Amino acid sequence: MSAVVEHDQVLTIAREVFAAMVDGDPGLLQPWDGDLPAFDQSISAWVDVSGDWHGRAVLTTDKSIADDLARALLDLGADEEVTDLDLVDAFGEVANVVGGNVKSLLPTQGSLGLPQVAPVAPVLAGAVVVQELRLAWRGRPFVVAVWGIEKAAEEGNRS
Amino acid sequence: MRALVIDDSRTMRRIVAGTLHDLGFETVQAEDGRAALDVLESGIDVELCCIDWNMPVMDGLEFVGRVRTNPAWRHITLMMITTESEQGQIVRALAAGAHEYLIKPFTADAVRGKLDLLGLVPVKETA
Amino acid sequence: MALSAESFAFVADLVRRRSAIQLAVGKEYLVESRLLALARELGMPDVDSYVNAVRVGGKESDHVRVVEALTTNETSWFRDSAPFSALQSYIVPELIAARGLTARLNVWSAACSTGQEPYSIAMTLADCLPSGASAEILATDLSEQVLTRAREGRYSQLEVNRGLPASMLVRHLSRRGAEWQVSQELRRLVTFRQHNLLDPPPAAGPYDVVYLRNVLIYFDIETKRAILERLRRVMKPDGILVLGAAETTIGVDDAWARVPVGAGSVYRPTRPLPANVRAATVPQPRIAPDSPVLTRGAH
Repeated sequence: MSAVVEHDQVLTIAREVFAAMVDGDPGLLQPWDGDLPAFDQSISAWVDVSGDWHGRAVLTTDKSIADDLARALLDLGADEEVTDLDLVDAFGEVANVVGGNVKSLLPTQGSLGLPQVAPVAPVLAGAVVVQELRLAWRGRPFVVAVWGIEKAAEEGNRS
Repeated sequence: MRALVIDDSRTMRRIVAGTLHDLGFETVQAEDGRAALDVLESGIDVELCCIDWNMPVMDGLEFVGRVRTNPAWRHITLMMITTESEQGQIVRALAAGAHEYLIKPFTADAVRGKLDLLGLVPVKETA
Repeated sequence: MALSAESFAFVADLVRRRSAIQLAVGKEYLVESRLLALARELGMPDVDSYVNAVRVGGKESDHVRVVEALTTNETSWFRDSAPFSALQSYIVPELIAARGLTARLNVWSAACSTGQEPYSIAMTLADCLPSGASAEILATDLSEQVLTRAREGRYSQLEVNRGLPASMLVRHLSRRGAEWQVSQELRRLVTFRQHNLLDPPPAAGPYDVVYLRNVLIYFDIETKRAILERLRRVMKPDGILVLGAAETTIGVDDAWARVPVGAGSVYRPTRPLPANVRAATVPQPRIAPDSPVLTRGAH
């Protein structure tokens, strides 16, 4: 498996996205210490990357955390309701920006699909988890993963 | 001064419009390039457009090209705000006529900095 | 305990005297947030206690830290823009007229931090120097840590978003993974070296242009004067000094003439120091020590 997308690069991207768009402070996204708790209501946002390399950037967390992320982005009060529309748009946009930056790590120009949000990201045929970052956002569990499908290697050519 | 914020994400439109408000702009929003052209064609006067690249119906690159070929819109400053950050993409955007380019994720300060470069900050800086 | 009026006044006065930056009433929150880390470092319960301790102790090093905390900005490219457009509109034309079309300009960026300033200078010169002319840029900073970063010329996406024209980004930097790196050609034009402004200047002079931006503010007036004087000794008699947007030599050192250029100013030596005159014999300026320092507006 080629190391097209490195752990530290994904961490940098995630931290920059949260620092710039959500928290104003890079310190609020940290590596998660220990095992991840099970999510009460798991939810994922993802965006597909296609080109020479096919993959998917997937963000996964608990719905209550995703709601809080949407509140932070949409400037809603702590008790304000987050509609499904709000959640899909906000959480999806974070995945979009993370995915867009992952795409830019690739050696050749790729294209980005539309962000999607659902309880679980569907199977992507042939994909393996290239990177999985278990993170703590404001102390709460948040996973940023990159799945990848290697393009079939050309004869005698390994990148 | 008025800015047109063009992005298919409501969240992103809110963030950009919020930053521009803090800098003293009035804002109008559009969810794709076609809707944005409708705004301009309706006669609303706009000094600045902040444009996402990847949008349905009409993408940001095409919008830029359309604006730059219309003499009535010569005075409008065009800044792309997008996740597209490959060198080639930035070159394409500048070649199509974009005046500036901001990569997502961006901070409010980065927006201010770009507008400074363009001579477009109407509000004096305060600490 | 909230910041007292006396503490705020003390800090505002200190910052104003050192940096010409005015902290008007209403900016208490800024003082609180910027000094909190310093207060915590010393185990103080709050900023007010910290400020009292600084005031009572009267230590210069504390004064410097307070001013630094309140005036430090994020490093950006082409910061304040005027000092770079000045290269194009005034500095290069003046120096080429004096030295000829094949001049080799000697530039010193004297508080270069992570390198955005000297690289911004290099980018501007790449565009406005006549083809037969060339430039060499010495970039110095107190911290070896930032110099290591500066030499590599690698910047994050957030850093390249900050004040760098997109056209310069694509021409002079390339993506390296999640970061961007300054081109080898541009990096070759800049030599980074560690240097303390309180020491004699580096021996690579005499300099045609010196950028000394947003660093004099950390020093008291005597030290500012001494630094400016040392600079003058290693500049060419028709050299040009560029300071930060809110800074001026006026009221500090009267051996410079201020030249308005675009939205800003540059400074040129009026009384070049003969090489064999020692610093101790420099006559003190006749300006009263507390005469108002010109400001460019409230901060």
